[in-house]
Amino acid sequence: MAPAELEQQIAALHPASFAWALACTRWNAAEAEEVLQSVYLSILEGRARFDGRSTFKTWLFAVVRNMAARAQRRRWLEARAPWRLLLGRHAEPVDPLTSRETGAGVRRALGMLPPRQREVLDLVFFHEMTVEQASEVMEVSIGTARTHYHRGKLRLLELLGSEDLP
Amino acid sequence: MSSGDDEARLRAAMSEAHRQDAEHTSSFDAMWRRTDPRRPTWRWAGLAAGLAAAAVGIWLVSRPEPPPASWPAIDTRWAGPTDFLLQTPDLITLRSLPPLDPTADPWTARPAPRGTP
Repeated sequence: MAPAELEQQIAALHPASFAWALACTRWNAAEAEEVLQSVYLSILEGRARFDGRSTFKTWLFAVVRNMAARAQRRRWLEARAPWRLLLGRHAEPVDPLTSRETGAGVRRALGMLPPRQREVLDLVFFHEMTVEQASEVMEVSIGTARTHYHRGKLRLLELLGSEDLP
Repeated sequence: MSSGDDEARLRAAMSEAHRQDAEHTSSFDAMWRRTDPRRPTWRWAGLAAGLAAAAVGIWLVSRPEPPPASWPAIDTRWAGPTDFLLQTPDLITLRSLPPLDPTADPWTARPAPRGTP
């Protein structure tokens, strides 16, 4: 893919990519921006290449998801670094899901779901993907994705029923 | 409640969760411009230049002095301080054969020419 075309496609998907990065980082805007920046850098450097086996959006979302998981692992390790434990600075970041913004109730309910259920529901109900495309993004089999989809749907409906939503 | 209603409700809930995403979204141009692909290359180039400079510095500091134009004449034969103890009289005696007078040996002495008394 030519660089100009690549930039054009990424630009067109930028708002959706950012929304997906937000969902992957539990609505932490700073982390989502950092993740997306890393994704763009890895694409420009050629470390992440689109091979045409899926749609561009599916591929880009999979890269975002992997980058977010990597960033989460790094943060987890940093939070438990020996010098932090010795100094007693083991402060977990404030969970953005509990912030009092619009949609906080839904985000709180989503936060109670296992990550894969949350991801498949976000991809299907917000990003308008099929379960099959969601399975490609999540790098799981379609059967596994379907299972997460059905369980997540039931659980979220149950949670939304008990939430005092705006 | 039908499955369609459930899905509509979930769709609405997801839209609600993402309602304020746009407020946090940085512009694409700003993020794309910040993503300078040359930055890592320069970083590696700087690191390589630093290593090369360090290597040259270490070599300059630790290199051997160049040899002088003409070496001074140094006697490299070494004699130990107690070597004289090894110089025993016997050794000195046995270093050479004693001079023997062949005429004094009756077996090897030549016969005297005739006519001599």
